[in-house]
Amino acid sequence: MATTSDATSSDQPERPGMKDGVCSEFTVFTEIKPGHADALRRDLAMMADGSADKEARGALEQIGTLHDARHVMFDNDTRHMFASVFDGSWDTYIDDFGKTVIGERFDRVFSHTEGFPGITDPGVKDWFLAHQAPAGVFVSSYPDLTVQQIWKDQRVSEAFQAVLDTPEFRAALDNPANAELLASPAFRRLMEEAER
Amino acid sequence: MNASASTSGTGVDVEIDDVQSGALHPRPVPYVGRFVFLRVDDRDAGRTLLRRLLPSVEGGLPSADPNQDAWVAVAFTYQGLRALGVPQESLDSFPRAFRQGMAARAHLIGDVGESDPAHWEPPFGTADVHVVLSALSPDEARLEKALERARAACQETPGVTVTWQQEVRQLPTGRTTFGFRDGISHPHIEGLGLPGSNSQEAPLKAGEFLLGYPDETGNLPPMPSPDVLGRNGTYAAVRKLHTNVAAWRQYLRAHTSSEQEEALLAAKMVGRWPSGAPLTLSPEHDDAELGNDPHRNNDFLYRENDDRGFRCPAGAHIRRVNPRDATIIGDARMHRLIRRGTTYGPPLPEGVLEDDGADRGLIGVFIGAHIERQFEFIKTEWVNDGNFIGYPGEQDPVAGHHGGTGSATIPEQPVRRRLQNLPGFVVTRGGEYCFLPGLRALRWLAEPEG
Repeated sequence: MATTSDATSSDQPERPGMKDGVCSEFTVFTEIKPGHADALRRDLAMMADGSADKEARGALEQIGTLHDARHVMFDNDTRHMFASVFDGSWDTYIDDFGKTVIGERFDRVFSHTEGFPGITDPGVKDWFLAHQAPAGVFVSSYPDLTVQQIWKDQRVSEAFQAVLDTPEFRAALDNPANAELLASPAFRRLMEEAER
Repeated sequence: MNASASTSGTGVDVEIDDVQSGALHPRPVPYVGRFVFLRVDDRDAGRTLLRRLLPSVEGGLPSADPNQDAWVAVAFTYQGLRALGVPQESLDSFPRAFRQGMAARAHLIGDVGESDPAHWEPPFGTADVHVVLSALSPDEARLEKALERARAACQETPGVTVTWQQEVRQLPTGRTTFGFRDGISHPHIEGLGLPGSNSQEAPLKAGEFLLGYPDETGNLPPMPSPDVLGRNGTYAAVRKLHTNVAAWRQYLRAHTSSEQEEALLAAKMVGRWPSGAPLTLSPEHDDAELGNDPHRNNDFLYRENDDRGFRCPAGAHIRRVNPRDATIIGDARMHRLIRRGTTYGPPLPEGVLEDDGADRGLIGVFIGAHIERQFEFIKTEWVNDGNFIGYPGEQDPVAGHHGGTGSATIPEQPVRRRLQNLPGFVVTRGGEYCFLPGLRALRWLAEPEG
């Protein structure tokens, strides 16, 4: 299903940035408005604060395609970098999130940067593109996995480990009636992977 | 995400009489129709043609019962607007997807392999498609009457060439080539005075379907300049899709062991039974009374009773392309469309499992004010992938281009069933992005100086 990085960089000039498997990188450099550095720092601190953690987790669940993201202030507080990794493309869901808590968080941070039109502005994609700097190298250790798949894998793995801990499962393994299942290659692979 | 939308700001004043009847109109049942592509040699030929066509094109929603209406609609590709001599500045103000055309977007929307524009039926994807005429009617007599003047206009205007024609008509069964009732779902659009097919759907902002009105984001849709050209217009993605009905029947037969199982498997892939009865309301068996009842056959949501998809799988065709309030990534209301499917070609006789070589399928018209956020998003995120419902890489079991490697998850107790090695059942034969202007805009196109 994944398009190659070639297709992304050459055929989609409207979506620069590098891709590895299902995900792509998105990095934006902006100028911090004069006098806004402290306010931006406060907003970032508030977003990083433990009390905002629940909101942040909720936002990430709502996005569902964001692997990770960071905001960095640099050059003596005159510039700001937003670096992120998304499944697919960063802009796929940008219209959807305009009205949500994610949109609010974007608006809060980028309102301190020069020229940001607002997350619901029709020109916001163009603004981000104008400030994007594509990576020279982007690699993922899990190029086939979307955030959705990773979450599912984690849930299934935890649930399966819990099954392994039950005496009923132990008994089922010892039950001769299940010998055929136990001997099947698929089941043996499952047991092998569970050992790791 | 949150599917219940705000209903604030009702009473938006839609200039419905300036909107082409064929833009927002539900398809009649039964129906017969024509699609005609025209090439115009120069702008004078194009403008003369338009002036002659204008009397055939009506605005508004003529009668309360869509089944009584016949109409002719006129739309243009980007190449067509250029041929008509629309100023470059104005051409440049159209959205990128429209300017590029569907063929140039094929890799984005998954028209690859057999569906690649290299294999499209001419003149799809070439510069020979300028004007797209379409006519739909409840019967042949009214169709002929509606088309009479348009036909004369095309024949009598030098420099205008018909480059493609396609007849469409409802099959005697009243169903698609795959054997399912279609034309059921129609979005509820604010300010039109036309009821949607789902009473539980909060009205969508007019700007999702018409240029010149606020959309669901609260903004006006990007509109070409000058205003007179854009206002009350919309975009239509027109696609010719070949359906491999024999492959569909063979697949169902090979993966089931009784007629009942076969019917259920097909329904799980489509999301409805052949009568149109939705699985979410009738999970065990077809219900013709429900399927025939326009007040009930689309009146449902997913979250309350079917969020896990034990009735209608999250990956089923109708649930993908209109997820309603189901749990998905993103906001389904940002990706609504008017879908108008019309069938071409002869039916494959009931019970036949071997391909007879006949070309059959549908001309699909997908209408909305935002090509990228609506048609292209739905195709790429919802039809060509399943990440939005937690099944990364799984395509629409019916409409996906699987190429023999597709899979589809069907939730069941105690464990899900997974279809594997799915072949593709649908091949894209061609497609065009069209602009469907309002009536004032049509007059402006015919005489921009006047």
